[in-house]
Amino acid sequence: MNEHADVMCQVRESFAGLRMDTPVENVLARSRARRRRRLTGMAGAAAGAAGVAAALILTAPAHPGNSPRPSSTSATLAAFSVTSGPGTATTLILHKGPQYAPLDPSALRQVLAQHGIPALVTVGTFCRPAVGPLADGFGQFVHPSTLPDGSAEMVINGAAMPSGTRLSIGYFPGHIRLAVLGNAAALLCSSRSGQPAAHLTPSGIPVHR
Amino acid sequence: MGHAQDEFADFYGSSRDSCLKAVTAVVGDRLLAEELVAEAFARAWTSWEKVRRHPASQAWVVRTALNIGVSWWRRRREVPLADHDGAAPADVSGVDPVLIAALRRLPTRQREVLALRIFLDLDTESTAQVLRIAPGTVTAHLSRAVTALRRDLPAASTDANAREVYR
Repeated sequence: MNEHADVMCQVRESFAGLRMDTPVENVLARSRARRRRRLTGMAGAAAGAAGVAAALILTAPAHPGNSPRPSSTSATLAAFSVTSGPGTATTLILHKGPQYAPLDPSALRQVLAQHGIPALVTVGTFCRPAVGPLADGFGQFVHPSTLPDGSAEMVINGAAMPSGTRLSIGYFPGHIRLAVLGNAAALLCSSRSGQPAAHLTPSGIPVHR
Repeated sequence: MGHAQDEFADFYGSSRDSCLKAVTAVVGDRLLAEELVAEAFARAWTSWEKVRRHPASQAWVVRTALNIGVSWWRRRREVPLADHDGAAPADVSGVDPVLIAALRRLPTRQREVLALRIFLDLDTESTAQVLRIAPGTVTAHLSRAVTALRRDLPAASTDANAREVYR
């Protein structure tokens, strides 16, 4: 096979810089979560399908029109939960696991809007400006992380988002792509986005660009 | 449990980069590959008693990661990324995009053979066992893949610095 060595060396050297950043603790936690999910799945099967219905439980704000940032609103859908806090921020959790219902992008968008966060939520695609760069300051508005069970958590400071911007959330089976969109006239939505502002994987490492 | 966990941690530490490179070469997306490899290692820990005795544990992880990727995309009724022709931008920062595009043009099986040979240092026989194909088929896939890459990567044909020998 020596006649192949030149090409194979070139390929090997091209990948030399790739490093897996995921700590072993995350892998162990993922394994534990997987065991729990399997146990939960077995229990859920016994309980019937009703337990995983996409039941929307909404606690409406006492005075939704009086405050641009409701502080006591709590909304939970099987696939996600949105809660106020910490501070004036809002915490979004996209639950991961077969026991959760498929994400309803329209429902999530509406609940985020109730928390003062304009958002574009897509499943299987990710939208970004067709031309021009993404809005600056992503890290000031959104702090993504991953919970031990693999669910994605985003602390969103909607009040800090400039007027006219909105959060683009692209939900994929193994990861979530995030960006803050400016006043772009046209968006490019693709099943394989090119330059998201952050790419959050259940490995727990958001990648900012 | 403590000893087994230490043993797994050692295996993870020594294998993760190679597995990531191999899976990235096949799926053409570094972040997706990291996700798949992390999930595969999680499953390896779940089945550690079996995996630790596997004759090619790293290959088990890579094979599992690729299978997870296929099942994810099947559930979503979408075409696996690996079968696209590279028109979409690949997310593999730090790797020559020309090489990534060239890899994505190869058939999946050729990419798998390349990945196992290059990044896991498997010989023809071991590669054949992992992929459950004949050794002669491995040789044929490798030859075709290298021929295609040599055509698409002109630098390789004049690279006088090849230092490694592949069996």
